Amino acid sequence: MKAKRGSRFSLRTREAINGHLFTLPFVIGFIAMFLYPFIQSIMFSLSELEISTEGYKLIWVGLDNYYNALFVNAEYPRLLAETALQMLRDVPLILVFSFFAAILLNQRFKGRLFARVVFFLPVILAADIIMRMESADYISAFLDASLAEEAAVQGTLGTIFSRGQLVSVLMYMKLPQQLVTYIVSGSEQIATIIRSSGVQILIFLAGLQSISPSLFEVAKIEGATGWECFWMITFPMLSPLIVTNIVYSIIDFFTIPSNPLVDFIKSNMFGGAGYGVAMAMSWLYFVFIALFLLLTAGLISRKVVYME
Amino acid sequence: MSSRLGIRKRRLARSTGGDVVIMLFLLIGALFMVIPMILVISNAFKPLSELFLFPPRLIVRNPTLKNFHDLMVMMAQSWVPFGRYLLNSLVIVTFGTLGNVLFGSLAAYIVSIRKFPGSRIFMSMVVFSLMFSAEVTRIPNYVTIAFLGWIDSLKAIIIPRWSAPLGLYLVSRFIDGMINRSLIEAAEIDGASDLRIYWQIVMPNIKPAWLTMIILSFQELWRTQGGHYIYSEQLKTLPYALSQITQGGVARQGVQHAVTLIMMIIPIIVFVINQSKIVDTMGHSGMAN
Repeated sequence: MKAKRGSRFSLRTREAINGHLFTLPFVIGFIAMFLYPFIQSIMFSLSELEISTEGYKLIWVGLDNYYNALFVNAEYPRLLAETALQMLRDVPLILVFSFFAAILLNQRFKGRLFARVVFFLPVILAADIIMRMESADYISAFLDASLAEEAAVQGTLGTIFSRGQLVSVLMYMKLPQQLVTYIVSGSEQIATIIRSSGVQILIFLAGLQSISPSLFEVAKIEGATGWECFWMITFPMLSPLIVTNIVYSIIDFFTIPSNPLVDFIKSNMFGGAGYGVAMAMSWLYFVFIALFLLLTAGLISRKVVYME
Repeated sequence: MSSRLGIRKRRLARSTGGDVVIMLFLLIGALFMVIPMILVISNAFKPLSELFLFPPRLIVRNPTLKNFHDLMVMMAQSWVPFGRYLLNSLVIVTFGTLGNVLFGSLAAYIVSIRKFPGSRIFMSMVVFSLMFSAEVTRIPNYVTIAFLGWIDSLKAIIIPRWSAPLGLYLVSRFIDGMINRSLIEAAEIDGASDLRIYWQIVMPNIKPAWLTMIILSFQELWRTQGGHYIYSEQLKTLPYALSQITQGGVARQGVQHAVTLIMMIIPIIVFVINQSKIVDTMGHSGMAN
């Protein structure tokens, strides 16, 4: 049967047809649910949205909204820069943490499944329904308020060392100033970083489990040590997923609802600067993230090892 | 991974110091996350008097099932039978996840292995669409759904999920990185069709990838309240029903904690089953033997 089909079309054509057939369900949905809104939102960003009883009406204003977002709005450019800096600080830490956590969670030890659940927990807890319930909890609201008060008194909270101690230890080690600030601000973010690396750990774990054990077997027979195995097998085999996780972390960082910029855009959407300007803001934001991704992923993909 | 070899041969030597460091590292990390979990669990069993204690206790002193009992009573009184909410949620989660994994991985297979004309553009579009947060596309999505006439039906939540881009991206990265091309070539020479290569070679080899995809999709759909598209009470989901229960203020604090526990425990169960499935898949990954 296959030969018959083969005689009618060339291999290339058949592959192309198969390709289109296989992707068709996804593509249709994709066009309807993502591409159409994509284009629609460009239209929105270039016009003023007016909501009336008959629906909505668009008034073409050209690039006014973009000008408004960048030069008239007082907060937007500052927030954009702040978020970018924060991302630069957090994403490398998230990656390193999730990489090593995944490797540890892939070891065989008692209670491994429980440990995995614990590290996946933040993803579950981040569900907005649970968040909302937490926020409706009177005691935790009270607790938050008193913690904030305490924080205002002490300056910072939530670290094992107080900030001053850590800084002086690191300075004593003669580390460069910038590195010290990076480590200190990173250590203040420990809880946030662990919380936002649940999915990344899971992806790395899945990657670790997809590495064929025979590779390690061969390496062992050839006399490779665990250290060599890690750098010669585990690391290169996981390298495509490192890019995946960088992309995921950056996107996740930029789009979680708790991101102040996302919040700002949302608050402008219905009220504030208006829907059109909010759309322009999110488009600028989008272009900004896209450039960022292209740059980082492009730089790192060169080092990636693919199975051939 | 070294330990995986250890099953067959002798356990590979690893220093106890290394073990201690691993456990210590995991413990510190785990502390940040396990405390909220303990709190949620013990809160669910606290009587009202203990719930309002300040400072709050981590572990419950006088555990009671009253919160769950209250929840049951409330469910029994609800206007729409409670099983209906559960059914809606189950339908959404099952079909949404199934479709998402199936269509996403099919497309990923073709994009990664067949490289049809336009596959590169397609892939970059998928990555770009990841960057859109749900808020941005809300109005156009509503318009599309309304145009299709799916408003106020479960379709409105399930079908869009089938083309969620994250799964496709993830699976295609796994195929790129983990599948040995010579395996595919061998299968082709033996005359396997695309569907067969997809189902019998690619999918078993990247089982961890699509199991991960199932978790993520489940997690996403489980919390769906259906707010924007579904208006009939009998089509609303379980999270919606439960969140309504908790709107009662101070008097329902206890029930609210019971609800939080229920909402949390089900994804955890799914995760545990899912993860224990991953482990026994490996070992026969197709190459060599």
